[in-house]
Amino acid sequence: MRRPLFFIAVFFFAAGFVRGQDAPGADEKEQIKALLARVELLEKQVAELKATQVASAALAGPPSAATVKPAPPPEPPARQAAPMPEHGGQIPQEAMQQLETHYPSLQIRGFADADFSATDQKGTTSGFDLGQFDLHLASALSQKISYFGEITVNAHPQDYTIEMERSFIRYDYNDFFKISFGRFHTPIGYWNTAYHHGAWLETTISRPFMVMVGGTFTPLHFVGALAEGNIPSGGLGLGYNVGIGNGRGANIARPGDAGDINNNRAWVAKVFARPGKSYGLELGASIYRDKITLTTSDFREWISNAYVVWTKGAPEFLAEFNNVNHRNIATNAVANSDAMYAQFGYRLPWFERTLKPYYRFEYTHMPLSEQVFTYQPQVESIVGLRYDISSFAAFKSEYRYSASHPAQGGNPAMPAVSGVFFQTAFTF
Amino acid sequence: MTNMLKHTGTLLAALVLLIPIHNFSSAQTPRESDVAVVVNADTPVTNLSLAEVRKVFLGERQYWNAKLPVVLLIRAPVARERDVVLRVIYQMTEAQFKQYWVAKIFRAEVTAPPKIVYSNDLQYELVSAIPGAIAFVDSRNVRPGVKMVRVDGMLPGDKSYPLR
Repeated sequence: MRRPLFFIAVFFFAAGFVRGQDAPGADEKEQIKALLARVELLEKQVAELKATQVASAALAGPPSAATVKPAPPPEPPARQAAPMPEHGGQIPQEAMQQLETHYPSLQIRGFADADFSATDQKGTTSGFDLGQFDLHLASALSQKISYFGEITVNAHPQDYTIEMERSFIRYDYNDFFKISFGRFHTPIGYWNTAYHHGAWLETTISRPFMVMVGGTFTPLHFVGALAEGNIPSGGLGLGYNVGIGNGRGANIARPGDAGDINNNRAWVAKVFARPGKSYGLELGASIYRDKITLTTSDFREWISNAYVVWTKGAPEFLAEFNNVNHRNIATNAVANSDAMYAQFGYRLPWFERTLKPYYRFEYTHMPLSEQVFTYQPQVESIVGLRYDISSFAAFKSEYRYSASHPAQGGNPAMPAVSGVFFQTAFTF
Repeated sequence: MTNMLKHTGTLLAALVLLIPIHNFSSAQTPRESDVAVVVNADTPVTNLSLAEVRKVFLGERQYWNAKLPVVLLIRAPVARERDVVLRVIYQMTEAQFKQYWVAKIFRAEVTAPPKIVYSNDLQYELVSAIPGAIAFVDSRNVRPGVKMVRVDGMLPGDKSYPLR
């Protein structure tokens, strides 16, 4: 018990120390404010001077070389931090160029995390591990064509693996129709597309079971074509995603990147609402249909999902439900597996709203007749605290307890496990 | 006794004089002006609801029409217009605003965050020059060459104008 306490102490000490270095002082803000006010004042003075100059020139007639000498060009500053307006309201070319969109306009952003875990699970050891290193690329190729890519580097006991997570090109016609081709995060539910890679994006350290890294419950990636857009619906704020693609591969945790395993295309459809009058609320429902080809048999798969989220930090609420229906094509045997989670967080009003305690409950039901998934019925609770040490880095600490589904008498292969987890996650 | 009356009278007179001075000075405290929504003159929009303005600035509406994309311009931190936008439109802190756009790009919903502008002059020039541009400006300094958009049918100065 002492060891986790030691790490908690180290965690908060480190967090406080770094925060102290990072937080901008009130004096600095005041200085910036004063500088901006001065810029505004100077702009006004310049405009007035220009007006006076124009009036004088009009009165005096055409200027002669003897009376009007052009002002000497100002000394260029060593390094201009921000584009500034030129006298008379004309934008300097340099500033204009900075603000112009150039094609292609590649933007690269990275996400990474470092973790520590200690659990009472037999056969495991406590220790640090390197999380996922994620590089996200976004590039506008023209006003209406964009490319998005994502590559991860994952640590394994023997080596690292590099994975192409997403790679697709998107053509925008307007807000109501955009079509993409490539590899996507499958638009089933909320978490899979909202957070996915990049631990910094999600409040918690771990993902829910239904969208676990390397998990099979939801097909996390999809190779094919995807149409998306808004649906004209006034204040309801409806939107949609409709896709057709290869579906699950021979390893059902992966999509058919190099080609489909069968001649059946998978399809996915999602409808969501972001009501204008309830800013922060999103409701959605999705369905996914595929044919899974395993060595033992072929299965029809139906996945249906519904979710409701309230993403404003105080409070934050996420709840999702997934039902996966598998029908053995040869025997017609049907199995329904369900997974759900409900997560509640609250960004506290103190310390510049940097602290967010959270709690999540998860429930996964799998019948013994399930033939596609590994049997993993379980319940899990996590309680944790997220501390945003800066706008782009966070410390998280989490206590987790999971056990096999008690209603099914427990699963000897899955004893109850409790543990503490720490993570620092950031984007760069 | 007379002196005491004089002191009391003087004190009362001073108090009577100070009260209106105090009231006057309170009344004269300049109220911060409203923030106007301005768009490029060719943008086909004249009136937006607050929810629509929010949708535009959240990047959920990215096109005015099939040929004209929305170009978001936002003042740099600590400018008053930005404070109003973050408070009323985004309802976010500065940190949350930055995080919102990182997440938005990650979800492949946009390729870039709003363009940051550092002065009013630059902002006016950009709104005038870039088709589809939209920005927030101090309503006292709205200049010709841009189009002011009504929000919920109201203009800056109206009693229930939301952006202040």
